Amino acid sequence: MPSSTSSSEPRALFYSKLLVGISALLIVLFEFLSGYLLKHHSETYDRVSHQYAEAVKMQPATPGQPTSVLMVGNSLLLEGVDVNRLKELTSGQMHICPIFLEATGYYDWFYALQRLFREGARPQVVVLGVGVNSFLANSVREDYVPLMLFDMRDSLGVASALKMDRTATSNLLLAHSSAFWDTRTVLRTQILRHAVPHYRELVLLLKPQPSIPPPEQFQTIANSRLERLRELCESHGAKLVILVPPTPSSVDAVRQMTMAAQRARVDTLVPIDPAALSVKYYQSDELHLNPEGAKLFTTALATFLPRSVDHEQAASPN
Amino acid sequence: MLFDSPAYFLFLIPVVLLYWRLNQRAQNIFLLLASYFFYGWWDWRFLALMIGSTTVDYLIAQKIAPSRADPHRRQWFIFSIVLNFTILGIFKYFDFFAGSFLGALDRLGIHNLPLPLIRIILPPGISFYTFQEVAYIVDVYKGRIEASRSFFDYGLFISLFPHLIAGPIQRPGHLLPQVQKPRTFDADRFFDGLMLIFSGLIRKCVVADNCAVLANAVFGGQFGPSNFWLVLLGTYAFTWQVYGDFSGYSDIARGTAQLLGFHFMVNFRQPFLSNRLQEFWRRWHISLSTWLRDYLYIPLGGSAHGQWKTARNLFITMVLAGLWHGANWTFVIFGAIHGVVLAGERYFFPARSKSTQPDVPPRSAGFLTLWGQRILTFNILGLSLAFFRATSLRAAVQLLAGLSNFAWRSEYASAFFMLCLFSIPLFVVDLLLEASNHEYPFATSPYAVRTALAAAALLMLALFSGSNLNAFVYFQF
Repeated sequence: MPSSTSSSEPRALFYSKLLVGISALLIVLFEFLSGYLLKHHSETYDRVSHQYAEAVKMQPATPGQPTSVLMVGNSLLLEGVDVNRLKELTSGQMHICPIFLEATGYYDWFYALQRLFREGARPQVVVLGVGVNSFLANSVREDYVPLMLFDMRDSLGVASALKMDRTATSNLLLAHSSAFWDTRTVLRTQILRHAVPHYRELVLLLKPQPSIPPPEQFQTIANSRLERLRELCESHGAKLVILVPPTPSSVDAVRQMTMAAQRARVDTLVPIDPAALSVKYYQSDELHLNPEGAKLFTTALATFLPRSVDHEQAASPN
Repeated sequence: MLFDSPAYFLFLIPVVLLYWRLNQRAQNIFLLLASYFFYGWWDWRFLALMIGSTTVDYLIAQKIAPSRADPHRRQWFIFSIVLNFTILGIFKYFDFFAGSFLGALDRLGIHNLPLPLIRIILPPGISFYTFQEVAYIVDVYKGRIEASRSFFDYGLFISLFPHLIAGPIQRPGHLLPQVQKPRTFDADRFFDGLMLIFSGLIRKCVVADNCAVLANAVFGGQFGPSNFWLVLLGTYAFTWQVYGDFSGYSDIARGTAQLLGFHFMVNFRQPFLSNRLQEFWRRWHISLSTWLRDYLYIPLGGSAHGQWKTARNLFITMVLAGLWHGANWTFVIFGAIHGVVLAGERYFFPARSKSTQPDVPPRSAGFLTLWGQRILTFNILGLSLAFFRATSLRAAVQLLAGLSNFAWRSEYASAFFMLCLFSIPLFVVDLLLEASNHEYPFATSPYAVRTALAAAALLMLALFSGSNLNAFVYFQF
């Protein structure tokens, strides 16, 4: 050790080194175990990784083939769209590839789409459906997303866009590189789900709901985000469609979103007027559609989506 | 750089390894540069402010020692105190006072006064390093310590990274001699330092961050309109959060200091086992409460001039202590509540008030009386912390107004269960520490046992720390 060591207690030094060694070993073990659990026991990882791999392969349709549509969104679509039924109802007109990940919003999907395009995905239409609140939220999901949807460049980009400090940025970069760091929140949630009675109901109350900003701010934020998304999609030959899934009390927000989209020259799709959908179509959280509501929404989506997905309107590929 | 982030440990490990290979002078310069890097990690621009204020105080201290026959000694001293508090005032309080002034004028019918709000970001740790600089200047002026001849030594005393952002506020008489003398590597203390870091991480990442989820939901209105149960849940959750958060931070700071051969004063001593608010302040944020006692309460006259002036001095001290925590009326009310209760305790229980030592006074009360007093003290603290946590006075009043409504919802049971899950283990640890008078649990157990406990702590961290809430509450002060 150092020249200034008086080494009062060799055993203490030995156990200090042992403790540091054990800590390093445990960290490696956590990393290995997290990677294993993620790949073999996580439904979310399994679903999103398969959906992502499919999406990367998307190419523009040749004449006579159905239009390729990449549909991305959060739990509003995951719970509200019966993908198999939608595919069935639109099979002649569209080839739909979904990527649905809960608790995601604008920033998650802007950078995820950027990466998808960079990796060669060339859908003709991109449908984004995250709900108005999540579209306007200034946040990014810090588990799954950095690991599965971002690369290093995206992580840095989102950190800069969200004005994260260096600690938060380094945490995001670590979440991109480490399965353990990325999924420790999931691990904690799973344990609490078993340890705390009715944790699933409790967690709905614990999650802060992003609020809708005042109209003027709404238009400024939504407009710039919509324009950025449109430019990103158009530069890769895709048309952007904003899908607004119904949520209770979202009538005014939907109207404002439609106005912002018109200004940004983006198509919006509101298959069901939220005002027309009663509470019985929602789950007990009064946010997500229940199977009955999902059936209704899927049918409406299958009717209106092909009208929005006008092949002729899609920009020409690069 | 937050103490509970991987970035901190990636910084700390090479610093400790390299540090012990250097001689004392090189150690100090290296630590000073490392501390500036640590501080600049937030925002490099704030470094200039801290270095500037350190330099000015270093130079002024050379002129104000009693041994110097400088005719302007007193003026330099006053200049330094005014300068330090002016800098703190501009960065921390200007907008608060200007905004309050404009609000008051607005209510009087005077509108659109051209008083600008400067909206500056608060430099991290400014309250802490300002208090440390003021303590140094006062102690040099009063002849309690010698002015540091080396800028590097003084700079390191102010900016040593384990205490730089959120304390514990180090007394010049305690830390400066440690900076000036060579440090020897003590393996026992090094091991204890590691254990303190593990203890701090558990307090912060497992207890505080999980209680924070509940407190944030209550204070954010996610549970709906306030009622008795929500006040209980919110204030208890926040009380445990702020304790776990700050005592955890202090443990990591003290542990890190020990890895580098320094000793920092104990900052928390089982505060929730206090049976009076007076005792609470001898056990909670001890470095701040003793600073306020020595540099504010006693200079104001302390308890030397009768009950009325004692009460006045206590009230002023606690209101300023509240304001130190943040530029908001909520903190003023928090301090005022403590001032009133402390003055009341002085009046009704004068015998207990004589002790000004941070040590815990002996108890003679019976078991039930003692626990009754502890529970009462905890609840008074919890209610005062409702003001500390709320974003505005109105929000705090709205929350407390629900106390008369006892409507129950089934989700509350899960929330209280979760609160107990994370707070009771810390309470048990506190009982163990109180009985053993140790700094961390099982501190005298064999090394093998403590190593196994630390490994178990790491496992707990892995399983329960993923709440994504890693900002320390006291970093904003």
